[in-house]
Amino acid sequence: MTDPSALMLREQFGTPEQQRESATFGMWIFLATEVMLFGALFTAFAVYRMKYPLGFDEGSADMNILLGSINTAVLIASSLTMALSIHAVAINKQVRGYLLLLATAALGLVFLTIKFVEYYQHYEQHKAPGISFVSDKPQAAEMQMFYVFYFVMTGFHAIHMTIGVCLVLVLALRTAAGSFRPAYHTPLEAVGLYWHFVDIVWVFLFAIFYISGLHG
Amino acid sequence: MAGQVLSTKSYLLTFAALLALTFTTVMVGYIDLGWGSMFMAVLIATMKAILIASFFMHALLEAKLVKLVIAGALLWFLIMVTLTLGDYVTRAWMPYPGK
Repeated sequence: MTDPSALMLREQFGTPEQQRESATFGMWIFLATEVMLFGALFTAFAVYRMKYPLGFDEGSADMNILLGSINTAVLIASSLTMALSIHAVAINKQVRGYLLLLATAALGLVFLTIKFVEYYQHYEQHKAPGISFVSDKPQAAEMQMFYVFYFVMTGFHAIHMTIGVCLVLVLALRTAAGSFRPAYHTPLEAVGLYWHFVDIVWVFLFAIFYISGLHG
Repeated sequence: MAGQVLSTKSYLLTFAALLALTFTTVMVGYIDLGWGSMFMAVLIATMKAILIASFFMHALLEAKLVKLVIAGALLWFLIMVTLTLGDYVTRAWMPYPGK
């Protein structure tokens, strides 16, 4: 007989399953609003990309494809460790889950570090609109617009990553404290969904900013 | 669903497929396909997104209500893109008063 308190069942829910579904449903609703947030930015990017294809291709050709590809691999690896940590807790291997959560947070920090190295490189090369922007290309003004989109969209993504790393670290501590077990680890699942969603956003950012101008 | 977790092997396979698609998109990116370059980049990104949502996020194992939320989010995003681009793309097609 499972101790009811072990299931962390709140009084408004009839069953642990109903409680889990409500929490997951809430996280998906939140992610739907995030689709709207990033979706508006992607739509605006599409409009400007069609209006100024040359300048946007020039801007994209400036991107550091090596660092971008490494960051993509790092983020995909962090999604793997996130999924595996939930799996580990679900089969009652809390220590493994704890270590995998730490690995997830570490990979998230590696991603952010590489991202800021790139930002610094753009700044050094005078590709920071509003602060210092110099280009001898004929489409300099259009390139500047590309960089505005680049900094706003990857910046929004980096903020999401920072929040994600904090959430994962809190969950790692709670896992170490023994708060989660196979019967109850809904917070892990909810943050996992958020983490994977942020990964999906990066996949599209990588495509539109790094890949599209690679042939130039 | 609780307890309906995927196996470690399926997660590792998803990870390998995502890395392979990342390598593919970089290789395809070096080929000049004109407007097709952006199309291929977004197409491969969509394939990666479907893999992440299906396997890492277990979207296919979730309740109908969750699937409805996902479909709703995609539908509203498509409405936004279609109506916005429908305006901007067709503006050059014919003269209109006040131009």
